[in-house]
Amino acid sequence: MLLEVRDLHVEFRTRDGVAKAVNGVSYGVDAGETLAVLGESGSGKSVTAQAVMGILDTPPGRITGGQILFQGKDLLKLKEGERRRVRGAQLAMIFQDALSSLNPVLPVGDQLGEMFVVHRGMSKKDARAKAVELMDRVRIPAARERVRQYPHQFSGGMRQRIMIAMALALEPALIIADEPTTALDVTVQAQVMDLLAELQREYRMGLILITHDLGVVADVADRIAVMYAGRIVEQAPVRDIYKTPAHPYTRGLLESIPRLDAKGRELYAIKGLPPNLMDIPPGCAFHPRCPMARDVCRTDAPALHQVADHRVSACHFWRECLDA
Amino acid sequence: MPEPILEVSGLVKHYPLTQGILFKKQVGAVGAVDGVDFALGRGETLGIVGESGCGKSTVAKMLVSLERPTAGAIRYKGEDITRLSGRALKAVRRNIQMVFQDPYTSLNPRMTVGDIIGEPYEIHPEAAPKGDRRRRVQELLDVVGLNPEYINRYPHQFSGGQRQRIGIARGLALRPEIIVADEPVSALDVSVQAQVVNLLDRLQSEFDLSYLFIAHDLSIVRHISDRVAVMYLGRIVETGTEAEIYDHPTHPYTQALLSAVPVPDPEARGHRERIILSGDVPSPTNVPSGCRFRTRCWKADERCAVDVPVLAVPEVFRHTTGPAAHASACHFATEWATGPAV
Repeated sequence: MLLEVRDLHVEFRTRDGVAKAVNGVSYGVDAGETLAVLGESGSGKSVTAQAVMGILDTPPGRITGGQILFQGKDLLKLKEGERRRVRGAQLAMIFQDALSSLNPVLPVGDQLGEMFVVHRGMSKKDARAKAVELMDRVRIPAARERVRQYPHQFSGGMRQRIMIAMALALEPALIIADEPTTALDVTVQAQVMDLLAELQREYRMGLILITHDLGVVADVADRIAVMYAGRIVEQAPVRDIYKTPAHPYTRGLLESIPRLDAKGRELYAIKGLPPNLMDIPPGCAFHPRCPMARDVCRTDAPALHQVADHRVSACHFWRECLDA
Repeated sequence: MPEPILEVSGLVKHYPLTQGILFKKQVGAVGAVDGVDFALGRGETLGIVGESGCGKSTVAKMLVSLERPTAGAIRYKGEDITRLSGRALKAVRRNIQMVFQDPYTSLNPRMTVGDIIGEPYEIHPEAAPKGDRRRRVQELLDVVGLNPEYINRYPHQFSGGQRQRIGIARGLALRPEIIVADEPVSALDVSVQAQVVNLLDRLQSEFDLSYLFIAHDLSIVRHISDRVAVMYLGRIVETGTEAEIYDHPTHPYTQALLSAVPVPDPEARGHRERIILSGDVPSPTNVPSGCRFRTRCWKADERCAVDVPVLAVPEVFRHTTGPAAHASACHFATEWATGPAV
């Protein structure tokens, strides 16, 4: 495994109480593999990624347990200086909002080149040449001229390409993309996802794709981890999960997408709301919204059951769910 | 289509671009909406889809008189509301209400839910006698699936989906006939979107509402709409029934848009024909000549740079009833209809 997160716990201490954002998450990614982490807002999908990158706001955030093994080393045991050498060079991240992630008063070329100046000790001139090369790679037209332009002079899709270029700059082993296309229009989203998938294949990178979009996931992922209330509730190869979900939450999500054959009928809707992280329901966190919930669900938190090869589900009644 | 309740013709909205401070002079214009025609039938849902900057939200704002059109007419039951002002306009506005996209910024954080939903009654006091308003607000809360006892709570005490229900209740307060909903579910979580879509569906039959449903999510638009209009750069490029547009698109932009939608089925990976458009949408300050879509179209020829295609049913289909017989603003609409299915 290139990256292995083991039993990670993260909490946020706030004035109103302790929010348990991540409650024992374990997942792994191999080189050349795409793991999609699927979840709604507040499910802990981004917080887990921030912990891996080492960019969690501490305080109020605090990692209270677990390990993050990257190429066999526990990142949580590294000193900040060592961590910084890994970040950017080995581990890179693409954010949702390219406009606010780029510095508005620096030309994009300088921002791209900075990677080479800081990590590789290149001269500014060489770094700029590298920046042009990278912008070419992500297919920004007229890269030589545009390298001097500022972020606001680029369209949303082009800005996201610059973010991808920046993440790729030092040829990292793993990229984490947090909702990389959510802010983009559909036609541009398709361009950007294709580019990302192609570059990943070429460099044989591991990719963690964080998203709430079941469509994007189906197009690019090898495996999916579904998160709910800071836990992974199901993890499986992409085909299995769409065909036979083994957790009622996954099934609910899949059924709530409008479908052609259900036109005019009422959409299936998961009842209720995602839980408050300061007050996660006892037992299985999903039980107040679950159509299959029974007494045991209200008291006992389900373990991750091995459903099949490479498949786990955190539901007491996963067998029933598979048969449904 | 049922009897039209709202008819829009030649609708244009240009925002002037000026230079200078003291002596402002107009140096150009942003053509946000550039000649849009459509009709909304009573009890029907018309979906408007398009990417950001295509003018769909500007159309919405003009319908509820938040923006004044540069040209064109909006006829509500035959009367052009763009020419109305004062009391007459106020009376019409009661019947056309809006639900906004962002339930976080469209509710005043300092007002209670009761005041927010009851505010329309302050503006239109004839809609409900003073003593009756509290009861009506509680009824509305109940109608949208919220506990009527929450009337004294503040917006921050609610989740996104609940806030959108509050916004919908406010839109319903005056018993309008038309609801203009601008991206009403796009800010919500997936599991909550379905709840709100179902609510809108139920309210439509309960109150005999006509919806103008604006969104960029094509699968939700398909689910909720009877007819669909596709916008690109300030114009409608194709319009027809939901099945005509989704199953038999005859405009290349619609085809590209539909093919770009990710399908939640891993089995379809690699088997789907996908059209990846090159480049970005041109700036509305500098619209291409002829067909606006030609700079990104793979089929464009010299004619497209000169002739502006008209939104109409192609001549050969005028007297047919097949799914290709719907309006499309493309010179090659007939070829697309008979060519390979997408």
